[in-house]
Amino acid sequence: MSLIVFYLVVVTLGILSMGFQMLGSRLLSPHFGSAIDVWACLISTFLAAFSIGSMAGGVISNLQGAARRRSQLICALAAVVSLAVTALFGRALVGQIEIAVAAVFPGVLASCLALFFVPVTALSTFSPQCVQFLAQRGMAPGKASGLVYGVSTLGNIAGVMLTTFVLIPHFRVSTLLYVWLAVAVLNLAALLRFLRTPTSL
Amino acid sequence: MKILRCVFGLAFASTALAAAEAGNYVESFDTIYNSLTIERTGSVVELRARSRRGEALESAVDLSDPLKLMVAYTRSLYAGLFFEPKPARVLMIGLGGAGFHRLFSAAYPDSLLQSVELDPKVLELCETRMGFKPTGKMPVALTDGRMFVKRDKTQWDWIILDAFRGGFVPPHLKTEEFYRECAGRLGERGVFISNLHSGTELFHSDIKTIRAVFPQVVLFETEGRGNVIACAVKYRTPDMTQPQNWAAVEKAVAGVFEGRLDFTALKAERMGIPTKQVERARLLTDDFSPVEFLDAMKTNNTGPK
Repeated sequence: MSLIVFYLVVVTLGILSMGFQMLGSRLLSPHFGSAIDVWACLISTFLAAFSIGSMAGGVISNLQGAARRRSQLICALAAVVSLAVTALFGRALVGQIEIAVAAVFPGVLASCLALFFVPVTALSTFSPQCVQFLAQRGMAPGKASGLVYGVSTLGNIAGVMLTTFVLIPHFRVSTLLYVWLAVAVLNLAALLRFLRTPTSL
Repeated sequence: MKILRCVFGLAFASTALAAAEAGNYVESFDTIYNSLTIERTGSVVELRARSRRGEALESAVDLSDPLKLMVAYTRSLYAGLFFEPKPARVLMIGLGGAGFHRLFSAAYPDSLLQSVELDPKVLELCETRMGFKPTGKMPVALTDGRMFVKRDKTQWDWIILDAFRGGFVPPHLKTEEFYRECAGRLGERGVFISNLHSGTELFHSDIKTIRAVFPQVVLFETEGRGNVIACAVKYRTPDMTQPQNWAAVEKAVAGVFEGRLDFTALKAERMGIPTKQVERARLLTDDFSPVEFLDAMKTNNTGPK
């Protein structure tokens, strides 16, 4: 049962990341449009966040004791605070960047970095830690890695489809950003609890 | 490899031969924003955009008579004259094949007709295939329409919104906030003109959203193709929903428009606001604009004629 809940948490992590990208496109479009250059910046920002988050998560998963717990807490807080900033001030922030930066490409890139890079990087640090969690409980590292990234990617797909075809057609983007924040708080709380559980599942 | 070369060679030769025989051609272009088809039949060149609904006719020009309005809805855009009969500064968001431009510049040679087009390839095709040349009085800015409206401080007499990408309108050009930005760039007696498509839920949301910004909106239903042109003004008096208060443009612009535009027929295109459906429709804002989904939801009617 605990293992099922653990995988649900991993799926939700995937939903949060890629669903956030679809919401991000709607935040940017009133200011920079929704053309291919905007999408290029948006996707690149998310991929950079996945990359750096995964590497940082790899380092954290090899820390010991208090240092690891402290790092996990910092990442979770960074994710929640940055998601809260995006939900509360995201639109105003993009508006200010649009005024401050005349050229489109730097403006879009600055907006993507300001709004999406930190939360997605922070969320991504947990994937390698989930692999480590399973490996420490006896699962072969290759299998653990395959399972976590496979399940997380299923969550990514669910996030894109759910956000695009169900949530955006029915709810305001601002409402959805608060929903993202609430789900992130609950999911990260559950994840921290899992990662700090010394017993086997 | 040789077989491939032969196949390509034969295909190329047959295409070239067909084109040479008739003087006609069909070309396809995949740009970074659109999938476009240019088809020339005799002196008529059509620009079409491929979309999920098939190919949508964006624009057409008869090179032997460039002033002729080939696409029905471009005639309906001139309904703007009923509201502002002296368009000295016109902003057109969406260049297409510049089907509207030629007649306008002939009728108003001293007026500024500023176009904004996102896709550089559209401008290139317009210049190389459809005989359009930007001038000082007909400049073209290659940028997003909304960004142009935000950054350019000109006060326009007309703002025409005719921007489509592959048959659908980008959501950020459909919101209350964008219409407010347009209203802010209109002169006091200016008119906002938008090309809408009837038959989907989006149509009713469009009207509701335009009415949220502009107190007076009049619709003109172009015969046949499902286009409805909305003309909206930001003043309350006189009552421009009453045709007797419209400008008498028939006499004022008789010359160039003679035989090309029938203003009596244009007046007859006026349709009522589908009030009940509009009341039920959802307002489109920057925070809520599921344009793609509303556009996919068919409706049965578009209101009373």
